[in-house]
Amino acid sequence: MKLESIKDFFVTQVGIITSNRFGKFGASIILFFGVVALLAPWIAPHDLWESLRDSNGKLAMLRPPSLEFPLGTTAMGRDILSQMIFATRTTFLIGLVSGLISIVIGANIGLLSAFYGGKIDEILMRFTDIVYGMPFLPFLIVLISLFGRNIWFVIIAICCIVWRTSARVVRSQALAIRQRQFIMAARARGCSNLRIIYGHIMPNILPLLLLYTSFNIAWSVLAEAGASFLGFSDPDNLTWGGMLYNLWISGKIRTAWWWFAWPSICIILLVSSLVFISRAYEEVANPRLKQR
Amino acid sequence: MQEYIIRRILYTIMTIFAVATILFFIFRVMPGDPTAQVISPALDEAAQARLKEAFGLDKPLIVQYVLYLKNLVTLNWGRSYTTQHEVFGILKYRFWNTIFLMGAAMSFTLVVGAGLGMVMAWKRGSALDVGSTVSALVLQSAPPFVTGILFLMILSYRLDLFPTGGMATPGMRLATGIQMLFSKDFLHHLVLPTITTAFYYLATPMLIMRDSMLEVTGSDFIELAQAKGLSPNRVMMKHAARNALLPVFTVSSVLIGFALGGQVIVEQVFSWPGMGQLMVEAASSHDYPVAQATFLLLAALVIFLNLISDISYCYLDPRISVGGGKH
Repeated sequence: MKLESIKDFFVTQVGIITSNRFGKFGASIILFFGVVALLAPWIAPHDLWESLRDSNGKLAMLRPPSLEFPLGTTAMGRDILSQMIFATRTTFLIGLVSGLISIVIGANIGLLSAFYGGKIDEILMRFTDIVYGMPFLPFLIVLISLFGRNIWFVIIAICCIVWRTSARVVRSQALAIRQRQFIMAARARGCSNLRIIYGHIMPNILPLLLLYTSFNIAWSVLAEAGASFLGFSDPDNLTWGGMLYNLWISGKIRTAWWWFAWPSICIILLVSSLVFISRAYEEVANPRLKQR
Repeated sequence: MQEYIIRRILYTIMTIFAVATILFFIFRVMPGDPTAQVISPALDEAAQARLKEAFGLDKPLIVQYVLYLKNLVTLNWGRSYTTQHEVFGILKYRFWNTIFLMGAAMSFTLVVGAGLGMVMAWKRGSALDVGSTVSALVLQSAPPFVTGILFLMILSYRLDLFPTGGMATPGMRLATGIQMLFSKDFLHHLVLPTITTAFYYLATPMLIMRDSMLEVTGSDFIELAQAKGLSPNRVMMKHAARNALLPVFTVSSVLIGFALGGQVIVEQVFSWPGMGQLMVEAASSHDYPVAQATFLLLAALVIFLNLISDISYCYLDPRISVGGGKH
């Protein structure tokens, strides 16, 4: 039964996402980036930090895209295609891990707050207010500069903030569901609190949770890109934002359009794909939108 | 109502206090010796001890905490580790620079966003409507450093239409205060950072205005206005748009709060001497007193804006009742 229902679940989700043109577009882009991220070490033609030389033995600095260097090279003669492939992997990892952790935090805070109400609700929501008072990027910068430029600190710092929106939204949705009759019926049957929360309320807000998972991943990717553009990222694990930081400090933005274009396009593509997928879920979570 | 507002203000003060406390502990639990990044280990023992005392680092944590809160309230925010200037003095000047930029950028965003949203609702379902929705979602996905650099590459370097950064042409900063704000040079420098910010945040007011406009145009009083034979323009502008603006207005202070955090990037790209740029400088050079004070000031602003949003919400929408607040 379990396996069947898991299969059903995925079939439904794929159906929702591909029911709309933009969702389809988003899903294919994300699939593409996912494959690149998985296969990165095998498909990248060069090492991340290898300085390339052309056929004459000269250092291939700032070459525009050509047959030899498909996406061009950086000011240090590094292959941008290879950097892009490895950066896809790191960006994807940071986005996915922080997006998933933050939806788990946000959903639990929202659910517990709505279900128990009273003191617990008050404490959790005041805490959420405090996190709402934290300016996101400055918080990331401070935390990363204090704890070190390491990919895991970046993820932790992002998770500390990103959950806040999902907590508030999940809470208000769960409050509405808590009043419904089947919850009272479950209570009357003597279901435990945890069972009601995770077995009865949570499945009913699933579209909302998936919508916010997608949003949280998008926000994490944007936050990571912003922090690494400002120079606050793991120097060993290059991301798209990190590539733009390298371009910025090299001072070559007047000439090296290719160094700018590829990482920028990929950030926009990935984030807008996630936003499009959220829109597809929004139509399920909020059917009113569909008529418009 | 009054009780609600007083309670909100109390919460706000508590929130700022909590953020300050969290910040204090984050700065103290960082790995390694917190003094090492402040005081060069190369100095001799006596000099190190003297500096520790000067920064209050030799006292127990709880005493440091009380001292920290006291200094915070009395605006005694210490001196920069790198330049030795008073932090309060540095921030005073940076604060207004950020406010000017934010004010210009967010008013532009809200006015253009609401206007576009209104037109979209009007021409609902048209190519303009669909096109604007998609481009807003894509623009929202383009981080400000991408759009900012693009503008610099095309409009500043290639076409030489706008300055590449800063607040004034070097050597031209003659006017101060109000005079500076309206000088042509300053406005010229303001254009690109304003548009860059607007591009990123435009989607929110625009889509909210569109939805709210659609909701309002479905209500009875609009039908009544139409039945009275008023011109469609008049119905749209005077009756529908006025009511539809409400949700845009209430979301605006939260949006400005978000934008304050994101301002760091715009200021860095356009070398705008505001708090965001200061924050990046301070954090990269481990200038902790400056980083800490800047962060707190930004956080206080965001929290204050959230308060404004809450209060304006219950003033502007009489349908919201703010009684007991128990669920």
